[in-house]
Amino acid sequence: MRLWREHPHSPCLRETRVIVNGVSIDDTYAEAFGMKATRIVITAASMTWAKHAANAAFGFATSVIACGCEAGIERELSPEETPDGRPGVAGLLFAVSTKELAKQLERRVGQCVLTCPTTAVFAGCTGDEALPLGKNLRYFGDGWQMSKVVAGRRYWRIPVMDGEFLAEETTGLLRSVGGGNFLVLARSTAQALTACEAAVAAIAKTPGAIAPFPGGVVRSGSKVGSKYKALPASTNDAFCPTLRGATKSELSPEVETVLEIVIDAVDDDAMKTAMRAGLDAVCAIGADGGIVRLSAGNYGGKLGQFHYRLREILA
Amino acid sequence: MSGTTLSLRTAPAGRIDMTGVLPEILAGRTAAEIEKMPLRVDGVPVALGECFAVTAGEGEALTIRPEGARLDGLGRDMRTGMLRVEGAAGHYLAQGMRGGELIVDGDAGDCAANGMRGGCLRIAGNAGDWLAAALIGDRAGMGGGVVAVGGNAGDRLGDRMRRGLVLVRGRAGTACGARMRAGTLVVAGGCGTLAGFGLRRGSLILGQAPEAMPACHGDAGIVTLAWLGLLRRHAEAILPGAMPDTSRMHRYMGDLAFGGKGEILVP
Repeated sequence: MRLWREHPHSPCLRETRVIVNGVSIDDTYAEAFGMKATRIVITAASMTWAKHAANAAFGFATSVIACGCEAGIERELSPEETPDGRPGVAGLLFAVSTKELAKQLERRVGQCVLTCPTTAVFAGCTGDEALPLGKNLRYFGDGWQMSKVVAGRRYWRIPVMDGEFLAEETTGLLRSVGGGNFLVLARSTAQALTACEAAVAAIAKTPGAIAPFPGGVVRSGSKVGSKYKALPASTNDAFCPTLRGATKSELSPEVETVLEIVIDAVDDDAMKTAMRAGLDAVCAIGADGGIVRLSAGNYGGKLGQFHYRLREILA
Repeated sequence: MSGTTLSLRTAPAGRIDMTGVLPEILAGRTAAEIEKMPLRVDGVPVALGECFAVTAGEGEALTIRPEGARLDGLGRDMRTGMLRVEGAAGHYLAQGMRGGELIVDGDAGDCAANGMRGGCLRIAGNAGDWLAAALIGDRAGMGGGVVAVGGNAGDRLGDRMRRGLVLVRGRAGTACGARMRAGTLVVAGGCGTLAGFGLRRGSLILGQAPEAMPACHGDAGIVTLAWLGLLRRHAEAILPGAMPDTSRMHRYMGDLAFGGKGEILVP
């Protein structure tokens, strides 16, 4: 992979261009926000059932705009890594407020994990605040629930039809970062997808980060506001190839597709690591793989307190 | 950095009450100060220095070498630090203990861990009767912490126990877990009769079925319990070999005459 700064020969070009493996890196930044997050561990008799529960619990959790939270599987856990010695997964949930996070967590665990055969759920982190996990779900036991304190942590045993649902009483609250992103501009949809799949695979290896959208990729990047008063956000027309020529487009003629990768992370370091992993993966495919540019979404820097400049991350 | 050491000079005829001889109290004191501390031998006040040779050390660590003497009340009301008994302990060991770690290299007498609220008590040998039971006059027994017994335990193990974890690698006597209110008892070698008599809540996990299962416990059949995996991981770190190596156990709920929300689990 080559990275160089190309100084303009023409005086009409005002900025230095940065090219990595033939991919132009925009001099822009991803604007991210402070979010509230938690990590939970779901275990089951087999990895298959743990993932069934996790996929249900973390499904329909792509954007806080209408899902209430953003969530995803952080990684799979071997039996040696889980509290009860069974296979499991660690998942992260992000929301805009502690109250909303607590609501989403309880609903999703109650409807998707408690209901799933053989599962148990545990806190995956500690924090300065505690979020109810099994604390209220225990009442499903109708008086037959049992409390157990193991190593100073309280768990609830709730009788269900396959035996017991075991849930730790609380999990921790993490002050995290959500909305890190970058845009992949490619010569074709197939090439954009290939690059994004590589990026998402790289991000998946980063501890403490998830890409919450389907397959980790978004095609419907948005801008703030709309011509319709009821809508807070609408399509990012500057990056829509079909509107090129009809709007003030950001796309050069050779760009056929733009896909976005959105990242939520437990802290600033995890976000930087995940973005670097994703950007590196795309750049590794490079211009030979049809990648033209990398850009990022922001709101002018006025809304989010975290700014991730692509060139600094790739440096 | 070594802690304070108390070595018995000569074994007295009577029993020595070691109440108040704790790591947190001896920490920072000189040998002369420690020797002046009061003890009671058969109820008669004596200076600690008359019974023990004192080597003052630093930190909240205390080693007691009983040399075969009968030392009662060791670790009573202990809150922090580390107390090691290089030999056997007498009665009332770790009564009302709230924190820290207490290790007994030999056996312990009756009424150990009565009213214990926290910390960790390890007994390498056998424990006497009424381990983790209630203090005399109290309504509830052990209320927290961990007790690990490498050998056997006597009768009335965990009587009226309310919280905490007791691990016994050997056997327990009669009325194991009687009148338990909550908490967890694990006895790898099984126990005598009247197991779980009057059990209200709490779990009695036995590595072998008791001599006779109480009639007032309902048979819930064989179940797989995820929390046993959780408990096993914790227990193995404290006392390896105490927990059954399976999460699939035969469950008996009881005592049905006392609400029936407790359980006896046997492989």
